[in-house]
Amino acid sequence: MSAKRRGMGIYCASLFGFLYLPLVVMIIFSFNDARRNVVWRGFTLKWYKALFQDAELMSAMLTSLELALAAAGIAAVLGMLASYAMVKHKPFRARGAYDALLNVPLMMPEVALGVGILTFLVRAGYELDFMALASSHALICLPYTVAAVRARLISLQESSLEDAAMDLGATEWQAFVKVTLPLAMPAIISGALLSFTVSFQDFVTSFFVAGIGIVTMPIKIYSMMKFGVTPEINALSVCLLVATFILIGFNAAFAVRPDEGARH
Amino acid sequence: MSEKVTRRGFLKAAVLAPLLPAFLDACRRADDRRVVNFFNWSNYIGKDTLPDFTKRDGIEVRYDLFADEDEMFAKLRAGAKGYDLVVIGDYLIPRFRALNLSDPIPTGALKNINNLSARFRRPEYDPEEGSVPYMWGTTGIAYNKKKLKKPPTSWWDLWDEKYKDRVSMLDNVRDCIGVALLMLKLPATTRDPEHFRKVRELLVKQKPLVKQYSSSSYLNSLVSGEIDLAMTWSGYLFQTARENPDLDYVIPKEGTHLWVDSLTMLRGSRHRADTLRLIDYLLEPEVAAANANSVRYASPNEKALKFVDPVLLKDPRVYPTGAMMKNLRLNAVLDPEQSELWNQTWADVKVA
Amino acid sequence: MSSLNRALSWLLGGRKPLASHLLLAPATLWLIFLLVIPAGGLIILSFAKNGPYGAIVWEFSLQNYARAFDHKYLPVLFRTLAFAAATTLTCLVAGYPLAYFLTFRAGRWRNALLVGLMVPFWSSCLVAYYSWMIVLGKEGLLNSALIRFGFLSEPIGFLYTPFAILLGLVYFYLPFTVLPLYASLEKVPRSVIEAAYDLGADRWTAFFRVTLPLSLPGVVAGCVLTFIPCLGDFLTVEILGGPRYYLLGNLISNQFMMAQDWPFGSALTTLLLIGLVGGLWLYQAWEKA
Repeated sequence: MSAKRRGMGIYCASLFGFLYLPLVVMIIFSFNDARRNVVWRGFTLKWYKALFQDAELMSAMLTSLELALAAAGIAAVLGMLASYAMVKHKPFRARGAYDALLNVPLMMPEVALGVGILTFLVRAGYELDFMALASSHALICLPYTVAAVRARLISLQESSLEDAAMDLGATEWQAFVKVTLPLAMPAIISGALLSFTVSFQDFVTSFFVAGIGIVTMPIKIYSMMKFGVTPEINALSVCLLVATFILIGFNAAFAVRPDEGARH
Repeated sequence: MSEKVTRRGFLKAAVLAPLLPAFLDACRRADDRRVVNFFNWSNYIGKDTLPDFTKRDGIEVRYDLFADEDEMFAKLRAGAKGYDLVVIGDYLIPRFRALNLSDPIPTGALKNINNLSARFRRPEYDPEEGSVPYMWGTTGIAYNKKKLKKPPTSWWDLWDEKYKDRVSMLDNVRDCIGVALLMLKLPATTRDPEHFRKVRELLVKQKPLVKQYSSSSYLNSLVSGEIDLAMTWSGYLFQTARENPDLDYVIPKEGTHLWVDSLTMLRGSRHRADTLRLIDYLLEPEVAAANANSVRYASPNEKALKFVDPVLLKDPRVYPTGAMMKNLRLNAVLDPEQSELWNQTWADVKVA
Repeated sequence: MSSLNRALSWLLGGRKPLASHLLLAPATLWLIFLLVIPAGGLIILSFAKNGPYGAIVWEFSLQNYARAFDHKYLPVLFRTLAFAAATTLTCLVAGYPLAYFLTFRAGRWRNALLVGLMVPFWSSCLVAYYSWMIVLGKEGLLNSALIRFGFLSEPIGFLYTPFAILLGLVYFYLPFTVLPLYASLEKVPRSVIEAAYDLGADRWTAFFRVTLPLSLPGVVAGCVLTFIPCLGDFLTVEILGGPRYYLLGNLISNQFMMAQDWPFGSALTTLLLIGLVGGLWLYQAWEKA
């Protein structure tokens, strides 16, 4: 029994190894003293120095962070409201079609989506600003948020906790704020995390919809990468990684476990 | 207790997060400094060229990059507005005009326009002479001296079975179809379907040998030893060879194409006067020379040549000698029907 | 009770259809303006003709659809389906034990591991792919290691092969399979599993008779979230794949980029969407039946 258990642990560890291998490579080669980092040529910190002096790269990173935050935020709000209506309310006509429509952003080839949105916005005379890009990203994130939140709301529905709250005299709004929302929060957070990731990664749609001077990380990296990533980008990724871990650490130290509320 | 606070905090953050970027954006837009929006290939300008311009003339240059001509073209075609200046290949000039993407540059207003050598102004492409040549170069073969026993001399070497999986080709209609026509000794302006069938066959036959079709990442593959031979644009290879001295460049004996990239002003530019100043600046002999020294393509600027690094100037791979020049074809001007045939053939090769 | 409280309660109570529509309104707005209209534009475009220099000629024609069924594009379709299926299957088989482990075995490490699963994707996938290039390259880490330990005498070109494409796809989509699996495994009531044990089931029986069937919604969700984006993926092939493994996403993007044939690209997109939406609809109909 325990041997089997260990086997599974080892298997999962190796899967994590697979996921983290590129990161390890990236970390190692961010200290590599060669511009095209395919061969190890000795230890250096110069890429980190170059990184902090590279205003373009730093601003691309900030843009991407803002963008991912905005897209995840918008998608979380839209997705929460829509999921709530779909789960808690009586089904309206054409609900099936609406459901299908919500999944279409996943299926659209990104190039087509990018070209479509760009053409439409330009025709409509809308300036390609930050909000245009953030809104497009939010659209791509929406299916992920809805998928996460709706599943949770359905299982809450089954547990009829909200009904219990209302039986005890709470209004719908109070039940929502005191019961549904806190219990749905883990799902909202996990949906938002997915959204953040999707937006932070997105290259193709961004390439088309980004207006002048809006350079996101993937756009910047893609154009640099065509000519071989300089280790500067590795250094940047390492910094992001460290920042992510620090944030997660803070979160773990100060916040509740996301799924604690839903346990019972 | 802390639980509630974080949750409420999270809610607030979730509500406010979308507003924050809008706010930042509004701050950004409030400034109306003088600015030129410049869209160019990556690695295609000297490091100090633009900062020096900003320092001197006080005009900011917002510089966006593309690594692939097709991506750039698709984006501009879809209507991405706001760019003032873009660098495009000679064959794209008629397309930009036909699709109403560009406006002719009033070259009369440029002080330095006569610094350009006359033979790079291409009236056949650009009857209005509304674009300004930026750099020129050739398409040839890059190879790794250490890995190849004898240097390639012919385009046919890229079709040689013994280099299977060690070859890369440019992911570009103009170069691949153009070179195939050259190899088959067919006229570049043909519109005979039979000719294009032969071209397709030739390129499809090579496909099993090709490791990648790429317009830029092949440089990395050359350095890392993934491939040993590549169809390349001259300057990019010389830039890469600064890091890896084993790389060399050869113009095949069948000859090749000489192409000219030009500065083109986009329709609807809102900063015309400042864009003209930037173009004028790029045409200044010292500036053009420093720029060419850095990107290692040849400069079409005659007055700049005396400031160009003599090593480059004497290098026949960068500035081919008179005898070699005879072997170079200028890119042919294609009418819409021909260019459709080229595109179609190339698309078929990619799918095959 | 304030009137705001009452209004919000009316909205959330949803006894009137208007309330649902109001709640759905923001999402609907987004879908209409950023999806329906742009996609509608592409569908209209798919009936237009490609004119000189890639200009669009507004003349009704079905030639783009006729072209799409040309036999030369069929291999691309089959190849795409094969890669998407292989990726989905690999992700599922590799990811299920991980999801299982996260749900039932990870204990207090679970949240950390869940977040850890997503962390690699917060750096750009482009950087991750590039790192894979360093690993898989001819003079890369994998080849050096294999040669060092005597498994190989000559380096193998792993890059730009189907293997590299599959690896890239699996790498990228694994979390998209694991997270829905986890979400659905987590909902399996422990009491039901314990009941199975109490009734004398061994571990495997309990798993196959109880846990696995109850987690099927997650399996389906994970498969859908992996399979569908795989069909349209083009970056992976662009970066890790070679010229001989051209997928649907590349075909479509090439129509918009290289070939500058937007009407044809739109027709291909329309067909892909019809196939996917139709497929999902059939699946839902089957599920209900």
